[in-house]
Amino acid sequence: MKKNSFFLIFGCIALALLVIFWYSVELHIPLLIEIAFIIGIVSVYLAKRKVTDSIEDERDVKITEQATIRTMQVFWVVFCAFSIGAVMQVLHIPTFPREPLGSRPPDLLGPRMMGYIQLGLLCLMIFLYVGFRIYYAKKYGDFETDEE
Amino acid sequence: MHNLTQEDLARAIGVNRQTILAIEKEKYIPSLDLAFKISRYFGVNIEEVFIFDERTPTIASG
Repeated sequence: MKKNSFFLIFGCIALALLVIFWYSVELHIPLLIEIAFIIGIVSVYLAKRKVTDSIEDERDVKITEQATIRTMQVFWVVFCAFSIGAVMQVLHIPTFPREPLGSRPPDLLGPRMMGYIQLGLLCLMIFLYVGFRIYYAKKYGDFETDEE
Repeated sequence: MHNLTQEDLARAIGVNRQTILAIEKEKYIPSLDLAFKISRYFGVNIEEVFIFDERTPTIASG
């Protein structure tokens, strides 16, 4: 398979996932997009293995490896910071005097807020990876040109 | 050398042309495996193509 065909397939899968995402929002069935996402990603990996006119050599592997390591190094710190904050809210200990029974429980992170935070973390991860990938690609000569 | 292009060399040893360019520009230090492949392609010893520098390993010029 040619590289351009792969990008065409990738675009079609992304478009299909977008349609399924809105469809699952409409129907309130999160499982639909979750399963579709897994199937989509597996399909992309399988299609990528069929590409014949592109070689992934040791320099490409090194760039990917370095970018992934750096992304994880930054991401886990941010992720843990958010998680610790969330745990603190879950372990909320009421201060004295105790609130009377039946009063409003302490404000916890609601599912909607958690969704936004996860979306933010996902975006952060993508931006970090792309940034580090560009940095290491430049470091290992991806943007070098011939002088001849 | 013998009108050899970066593309030809890259294809012969199974890497991208950009990798050959990066090695030439000393932006990327190849693995031992790749260094041996390159030197074997030219039929010379590895020391004739690459110089080991303890601080920054570099590539032999010329």
